Amino acid sequence: MVSFHPDAKFLTDFAAGNLPLSEAICVAAHLEFCSKCRSHVQQLSDLGAQLMVRLEPQLTAADAADSDERQGFEQLMQRIDAGDTGMTVTPAPAEPARVSSANPLGLPRVVQKLAADGVQSLKWGQFGKSLRIAPIRIDKSSRETALYDIKAGGRMPEHEHRGEEITVLLKGSFSDAEGKYVKGDFVVRHAGERHQPTATLDTDCICLVSLEQPVKPSSFWYRLMEPFVQYRLSGLGN
Amino acid sequence: MDKKDDMETAASVHPGRSSTPDPWADNVRRVAANRDRAAFQELYKHFTPMIRAFLLKSMGAGANRSEAEEITQEVLIKVWNKAASFNSSKASVNTWIFTIARNTRIDFIRRNERNERKIDIEDIWHEPESPEPLVDLQQRRAEQVIKQAMATLPDEQLQVLYKAFMEGKSHNEVAEELSLPLGTVKSRIRLALNKMQILIDR
Ligand SMILES: [Zn+2]
Repeated sequence: MVSFHPDAKFLTDFAAGNLPLSEAICVAAHLEFCSKCRSHVQQLSDLGAQLMVRLEPQLTAADAADSDERQGFEQLMQRIDAGDTGMTVTPAPAEPARVSSANPLGLPRVVQKLAADGVQSLKWGQFGKSLRIAPIRIDKSSRETALYDIKAGGRMPEHEHRGEEITVLLKGSFSDAEGKYVKGDFVVRHAGERHQPTATLDTDCICLVSLEQPVKPSSFWYRLMEPFVQYRLSGLGN
Repeated sequence: MDKKDDMETAASVHPGRSSTPDPWADNVRRVAANRDRAAFQELYKHFTPMIRAFLLKSMGAGANRSEAEEITQEVLIKVWNKAASFNSSKASVNTWIFTIARNTRIDFIRRNERNERKIDIEDIWHEPESPEPLVDLQQRRAEQVIKQAMATLPDEQLQVLYKAFMEGKSHNEVAEELSLPLGTVKSRIRLALNKMQILIDR
């Protein structure tokens, strides 16, 4: 059962549309596993809507005269009729297949999109025996976004965070000194915290990670990270 | 376990009496079913000044009036095109249109930043897929609670919500603008959410 959730700040910034993409993707991934947070986001959207309807309506000069308002509407309909809308009419929604042959891992929709040709097609870098990392470029923000694949029983080196780190567990489970994390959990670590996550022995573990700043190595993490950094600097090639 | 709780709570809600009817839902249904222009025109007349007001505030300094107007048109076109995906048991028309306007605004900002468009905004901010009608029912009731509680919020709480939702500012940006510690902004929002029965654990 999911027991680690985004806090009110994450959910509010998400529902208001103010969360940078890397973090928003993590929240969206969590929402697919968590009906409780989905319903909070829906409530927060209701809240946004109530604020919107209380705004002083902005009329254009044209709206002020009733005949001109009708003209504005006619112009809009002309655009719609001409198909000059850059989009198509949405049919009634089909139920999305959560787990299908195309998505055997049951990954969240947003992750499927990021790894459109399958998780294996991402550019994975191997770090040590049990850790693979696939960086995902989303935008020009300072955040690093990546998928981590940790082998069953693998142990990540202890590391300290310079910035905030969000981890959303997509498959498997892992544990550290703070507790055990399962599929769907949204775990935030803040700058200055140290931890050493260990994937539990029974299963491999896939995580979506958003890192505010590169992790500062505190032991042999450095050796692990160095090729990752070089790998990134080389333009994600080879 | 959760399901059972939901069912018991929802059963006591008395379907049909719990939520006031949505005055605009029928218009959207008519647009979806019959491409009804008269119904759409009523929506247009009611919502356009509101959408425009929201976009003028939330698109920030980066947008001028004609851009806000263009995005307003874009929102209205989406209302027309997506009418079939509107589900009145999940959300009111107000909320549905707000989410469309919010997403269009996020999309506009991203377009301006010339980001790679590997992923659509709607892959992230999409309509929640909750197949449980009983949960939807509670949702609609929650909306009434929010509406009523908002009228009683102290100014300082309403102000931070306004900046977050209408001006498109993150917690950090609100704190900076009001010269308040981030913790104060967080706690004002938390207090307001609690009053509106949006009870987020952490
Ligand atoms: Zn949650």
